[in-house]
Amino acid sequence: MLALQLTITGLQTGALYALTAVGFSLIFGSTRIFHFAHGATFIIAAYLFYFMDISGYGLFLGIVAATAGAIAFGLLLNRFVYVPIQRDEGSFFTVFVASFGIGIVVENVVGMIFGRGFVTIQTPLSFSTEVMDGLFIAPLSWISILCAAAFFGILWCFLKFSHMGMSLRALADNPELVRVFGLNPRFISACAFTIGSILVVPAAIISGATSGLNPAMGHHVMLISLAATIVGGIGSVTGTLLAGLVLGLAESLALLYVDSQWTEAVTFAILFLFIMLRPSGLLGRSAAH
Amino acid sequence: MEAYLLNLVILISIYSILASTLNFIMGYAGIYSLAHAVFFGVGAYAGTYAAMHVNASIFISLPVAMVAGAVLSLILALPALRVRGEYFVAASLGLQVLAVTIFSEWKSVTGGIGGLVGIPPVNVAGLDIFKPGQFVFLTLAALVIVLIIINRLVHSSFGRSLRAIRDSESAAAAFGKNVPLIKTISVVISAALAAVAGVMYASYLSFINVESFKLDTSVLIMAMVIIGGTGTQAGPIVGAALLLLLPSLISYLDFLPQTEIGAIQQIIYGLGMALLMIYRPGGIIGRKKHSSAGKE
Repeated sequence: MLALQLTITGLQTGALYALTAVGFSLIFGSTRIFHFAHGATFIIAAYLFYFMDISGYGLFLGIVAATAGAIAFGLLLNRFVYVPIQRDEGSFFTVFVASFGIGIVVENVVGMIFGRGFVTIQTPLSFSTEVMDGLFIAPLSWISILCAAAFFGILWCFLKFSHMGMSLRALADNPELVRVFGLNPRFISACAFTIGSILVVPAAIISGATSGLNPAMGHHVMLISLAATIVGGIGSVTGTLLAGLVLGLAESLALLYVDSQWTEAVTFAILFLFIMLRPSGLLGRSAAH
Repeated sequence: MEAYLLNLVILISIYSILASTLNFIMGYAGIYSLAHAVFFGVGAYAGTYAAMHVNASIFISLPVAMVAGAVLSLILALPALRVRGEYFVAASLGLQVLAVTIFSEWKSVTGGIGGLVGIPPVNVAGLDIFKPGQFVFLTLAALVIVLIIINRLVHSSFGRSLRAIRDSESAAAAFGKNVPLIKTISVVISAALAAVAGVMYASYLSFINVESFKLDTSVLIMAMVIIGGTGTQAGPIVGAALLLLLPSLISYLDFLPQTEIGAIQQIIYGLGMALLMIYRPGGIIGRKKHSSAGKE
């Protein structure tokens, strides 16, 4: 029964990991921008929702504010940091450092406003009920899994059928060709940032209610997103989704054998094994070099 | 005032060692590690272990720490040989997270979250060095020796091979360079020298705990290298001095909330990193608009 309980918790965690990681993977896969401040987007969305919640604006306005904040942050960062850097040279390292610096700024600004401790978004949805003998499930578990399924369904249709979705995939394959075709790569990049930032919002809000928030958790979010992107295979949205679920399940099921402080070590072990044995990931096409 | 200045000089020397050794792999070998605080910590814990259980002589604690750092760095070298760029950032980030867990859980050696107290002063040839006025010479000497070692390495054929690998790994391999071996050696040297800083730090404070070796420290060291100038010799030292002077500069500015000095310091260097990358990727010392590091 414990194993089943942990599997369900793991699926819930995995669904949230997958949402965050796919956001990063989509941005990185199509624009090749190493968006390390993705963790900061998570923090901004989560704390905006938390702020709206404690000020009593209600669920809907909270979601709107979190989404708007996440999109605005993604787009502004792209416009005022990544675009100027890429105009000159745009090596992986320069983009990474700039993005990392912005992440530090966000973490500390949020820490100064809301304090450095853990805060939790209060909701009756996080109370568990006994579904079966010894099996406790909170409504939020179903909400996160359904939410992830819905978002991925929409994303899949979007990438597969819409014109912009095709352009995104084209940009990932060959940016030169996109330019030759008369499409505007910069506009497509902005779309990638919008979608990638939106995907973070549900994960940020639900995590805030289940496991709580603190300003420094951006690094953890980033480790998970990076791990899922690499384990899934860079450039593969489906791979990242699978990897996110696997990482969530593995972290949760590991509790059968080790104490909870080792869960991040499990993520790291999986990532390390993949880097050593299969750098192209589960569904990736190209090798690491 | 004098004690304050001495303390500052000692800390700047210790962090200059860390920044210079990180710059050695980052600026010359193109290995961007977010796990440098791990080797700082390993050096501090191993040196302390030797000092508390064997002998406080620097000729015991320093080699023990360096060997421990060097051996553990092979864990970092392993992924560095297989992949680069974004993959390696992820691997080193994971290693840093894992190390913090181990530092706080392995209570018999690291003292857990409480840390280790009462670390004996470092002993150089029968002389206990604990007064800041004496200790400052020890750390400065260590810094100079580390800088000389790095300087010799960078200007040797080994250093040229490293830069060749950074700029184009396949070209270096085509010229018959043993790329995996050269990368491994550079990581091992960097970690062993970073461990020296750990020994200095532990015996200077006579207290260590996991707080000093977290991701924040790795980030701080990386910021020192980047802000000072990646791939330059003076850059990391300028960066270390600048970032360590920042808290005291902030405390002179009365209009800023004094309880948030740590946060303001991080905000300033975070912004600094982003702005430098936009306008001057080479850092303060580096040449303008020239990528001295980071060519893929």
